[in-house]
Amino acid sequence: MESVVEITGLTKTFKDKNAVSDVSFSIKRGEVVAILGPNGAGKTTTMLMMLGLLSPSKGDVKLFEKDPKSKSVREKIGVMLQEVSIMDGLKVKEIISLIRQYYPEPYSLNHLIRITGLDQDDLKKRTEKLSGGQKRRVGFALALAGNPDLLFFDEPTVGMDISARKLFWQTVKELADKGKTILFSTHYLQEADDIADRILLFNEGKIIADGKPEEIKKKLSKQSVSFIADHTIPRKMFLELSYVSDMYEKDGRIYIVAEDTDLVLTRIFELKLQVKDIRVEKGRLEEAFEQLTTENREAI
Amino acid sequence: MKTIIHQCKAEILRMFRNPYYIFWSLFMPIVFYVIFTKIVNIQVPDKKVWDAHYLMSMTTFSVMGSAIMTMGIRIVQERKEGWTTFIKTTPLSGSVYFLAKMMGQTVVHLFSIIVIFIAGVLINGVSLPIHVWFLSGAWILLGSLPFLGLGALVGTMKRVDTATGISNMVYMLLAISGGMWMPMDILPKMVQKVGSWLPSYNFGNGAWEIIRGQSPELKNIAILAAYLLIFMVLSTYIRRKQEAV
Repeated sequence: MESVVEITGLTKTFKDKNAVSDVSFSIKRGEVVAILGPNGAGKTTTMLMMLGLLSPSKGDVKLFEKDPKSKSVREKIGVMLQEVSIMDGLKVKEIISLIRQYYPEPYSLNHLIRITGLDQDDLKKRTEKLSGGQKRRVGFALALAGNPDLLFFDEPTVGMDISARKLFWQTVKELADKGKTILFSTHYLQEADDIADRILLFNEGKIIADGKPEEIKKKLSKQSVSFIADHTIPRKMFLELSYVSDMYEKDGRIYIVAEDTDLVLTRIFELKLQVKDIRVEKGRLEEAFEQLTTENREAI
Repeated sequence: MKTIIHQCKAEILRMFRNPYYIFWSLFMPIVFYVIFTKIVNIQVPDKKVWDAHYLMSMTTFSVMGSAIMTMGIRIVQERKEGWTTFIKTTPLSGSVYFLAKMMGQTVVHLFSIIVIFIAGVLINGVSLPIHVWFLSGAWILLGSLPFLGLGALVGTMKRVDTATGISNMVYMLLAISGGMWMPMDILPKMVQKVGSWLPSYNFGNGAWEIIRGQSPELKNIAILAAYLLIFMVLSTYIRRKQEAV
């Protein structure tokens, strides 16, 4: 499949500090990709460079094989950025109509209203009178106005209440089903895991993992088997196994960290070890995420 | 073309909905007009000429104000709030966006001119030959261009507060020392000397000449054109520099 986004060696330096360093990836048509990472990981900076709003210190961005600033690209993308207030003095309906006519084949006003959950009352309101949540909805409608093929959402659900969030992701899923390419940044793991079919994990301005949510989870989340042993167990007994990565004692329990916990259990029974109260713990993605980002910080 | 008309309409709509516009660009000039032609008795040789003269002063004062303030502050505000950034992600080109603002503003200026002229007729029965009305209106409309340029220059400022403060001050200074509030000849010599080189005086003087049956001086046109050029070049240069991040 053709690639819609092509990023090579993207680097942005602010006052000698690398906000983004040497990031490369490509996104194929129809992919739903989450840029996941803690605050300050370089997600927004990367997105702004992808949109041509910030010029990279080094590296190259191509959207639809073209410069992101070119008009033909602009006609095919929809963007929702953080902290963008909407031009004042216009009613919601007026601003949506205004933005719609920038595009050659926009969505109809009614369709936009339906998919973004705006109601008739909202439409008559002046943009400066909207609440934060309503503003996000209007921002979403404006991003979709041109019926774009490629969508960019920077931390889209910040400032949305639960029902707005639900509707937002439902609409995003519908758009994905229609074959739209979607790229969003988030620091919520749950969102990335639920929505995206690929996660780019950012930390300290670099991509530290790239793959399906499942793969990333598996790779990152450490699962363990723990038990209470009556006698000492030589560390060698488990650490020499390929699927075991660590073994330690904590609060009177012995923990064996492994990719495959079933194999560890089999081994325990094979060896007929005198142990009791065996527990299997599956690491959650949240923990994995924390682990990874803190480990990485230590490494630097 | 369709886009620019839509964009223009939106800008016009926004300006008319702005209470500051109604207050500062229509209400205040008309109030001043009443004060200085009806209430305060200014010793003038010809009251009729003074009524027409001061009507031109107030119209130029109004148009100059909305050109510098509305446009400049709006631009700063939109950039500050991220709207300009959003617009850059849409197919709308920066120049169309800018041009629509200028055009919308010009339409609003035309409206101000008509309203204030009518106020002059109603308040003081100002009567001028029809072609003089048209000529003076056209002069004010065209002569507002350097002030739109100044507005664009204000628009390059970083903070809304700074833009508001500075443009207010510049506006008042220009109005006073350009003879819009008080006729030039009663101002101190020093102010007159400086004032004659300011865009505000040259803007006003063109209209003052027209209502006296003369044409604007060549110097007026030349100075206004020079200011337009300076403001455009400066604001374009600063914007380019700011964009090169």
